[in-house]
Amino acid sequence: MRGAPPESGEGGRERGWIGCMKTRNDSKETEMSEEINVLLLDDEPIVGKRLKPALAKIGCQVEVFEEPAKALERLDEKEFDIVVTDIRMDEIDGMQVLDHVRKKSSRTKVIMITGYAMMSLAREAMEKGAFDFIAKPFQPNDLRRVIAKAAEALGSSIDFESAAGHDA
Amino acid sequence: MSIVVVSSDSREKGREIAAKAAESLGYRYLGRELLETVARRHDVPREKLEEALDESPSLLGMSSKVRGRYLALVQMAALGELLGDDVVCHGLAAHLYVLGVSHVLRMRILADPEEEARRVADEKQVSLEKARKQVERRKKSSRKWSLDNYRIDESDPSHYDLVVSLSQLGADEAVKIVVQTLGYRKFEPMTYSVKCLRDAELAARVRVALVESFGTVEVRADGGRVVVETHALKREKRKKAENVKEVAGKVSGVDFVEVHVSTDVLRKAAESFR
Repeated sequence: MRGAPPESGEGGRERGWIGCMKTRNDSKETEMSEEINVLLLDDEPIVGKRLKPALAKIGCQVEVFEEPAKALERLDEKEFDIVVTDIRMDEIDGMQVLDHVRKKSSRTKVIMITGYAMMSLAREAMEKGAFDFIAKPFQPNDLRRVIAKAAEALGSSIDFESAAGHDA
Repeated sequence: MSIVVVSSDSREKGREIAAKAAESLGYRYLGRELLETVARRHDVPREKLEEALDESPSLLGMSSKVRGRYLALVQMAALGELLGDDVVCHGLAAHLYVLGVSHVLRMRILADPEEEARRVADEKQVSLEKARKQVERRKKSSRKWSLDNYRIDESDPSHYDLVVSLSQLGADEAVKIVVQTLGYRKFEPMTYSVKCLRDAELAARVRVALVESFGTVEVRADGGRVVVETHALKREKRKKAENVKEVAGKVSGVDFVEVHVSTDVLRKAAESFR
C-alpha cells in the first residue's frame, strides 16, 4: 500500500515516505530512501539511548527527542513514518503528541509507550488513533516487532527476524 | 480480533445472546461445553465442575480447597481458549477473572424479571409468585457466589463496558449493540492488552500447579516473572516458600518466581487453643 509521491512542502518542509523517492523542496535535493523514519520521544534519556541503535538494526532512521516541545516542532517540519512517544511527560503529554500527529498526518503510525499502563489509558490511546500501546518495561525486540507491523501497514517490510536473531 | 465476555442474571438469556452474538460476529462461542474437556483432561467429574461454578460455599457442600482447585482448572482452560481471540464467552465466570484487558468487551445482560418468572413457572410447574421468589433467590445466590469466590460483586454495573436490560431491548437488538460496540478501536487488541491476557493465563497455570499442594494462593504474572502470595505458620514459612518456588518454577513460561508468605493467623490461633 504505497502512498502517492510526496506533495511539495511548504517553507522548506520535508516529507518522506517509505521506500520511495524523498524530496527536499527548497534545495531541490532528491534522494532514494528505503529507510523508515522514526521519531522517538521520551523524557528519560536512557530510553532513546537504548532504543535508537536497536531500531537502527532493522533499518530505521531514528531521531530522538527528550523534550516534547522540540519533538512537536520537528513533527511540523517533517512527516515521519512512525512516531514512538512516551505518555507521561511534563508540560506536553503523549496524548497531546498523538493528537498533534493525527492533525498533521493520517498515515503516520503512532506507538505509545508508558510505565503507567492501565486499561482506560490504553483504550483512550487506541480510540484517538494510536497504532499500538506498549507497557514499560519492554525488550527492544517488543518494540521492533511493533515497528515491523507498523511498517507493514505502511506498505514496507522489515526483516525483523534476522535483527532479533542478532540480538539473541 | 476481539473477545466478548457475557454475564447475565439469567443463564438462559446470557447463553442465547452470547451464542447469537458469536454467530453474528463470526466468532467462536465458548461456554459450558468446555467443562467436558476440563473434566477429561484433569480426570475430574464434569458435574463437580458445574457445582463449583453454580453453588455458593456452604458447610455441607464442596470443601473450599476442592472448589478452589475446580475453579482454577476452569479458569486456566477458559483463559487458554481466550488467547485464541475472536471468541464470545459465557457461563465460565470469565467476567470475574478477565480483568483489565482492553480488547475484552465485558457485557452484562439483565433479563426481564417478569419474563424470567414466567419461564421458571412454566419449567418447574410452580405458581408465578413462587417463581418470582426463586428468580430473586437465584440472583442473590449468584451475587454471593461471585463475592465468595472472586471478591467481586457481579451485579455491580461498574464492572462492565455494556449493560443491557432486556426489559427495554430485545435479544436481537442487544446483539446489534454488541456488534456495533466492538467497532470502536478501543476494543482492538494491542501489544499491552495481549500481554495482560497472556499474563493472566500464565498466572492461572501457575495457580493450578500450586493449588493442590498448597491450598489458597494468589498468583500474579508479569512477562515470565511470577509473584505468589500464600500463608503459613511462622516456623513453616521458609520451607513453604522454597517448595512453592520449586513447583511454580517448573511451569512453562515462568522465568522467575517471587514468593511472599504471610503468617497464617487462623492456623496459629487454632494451634494455640489445642
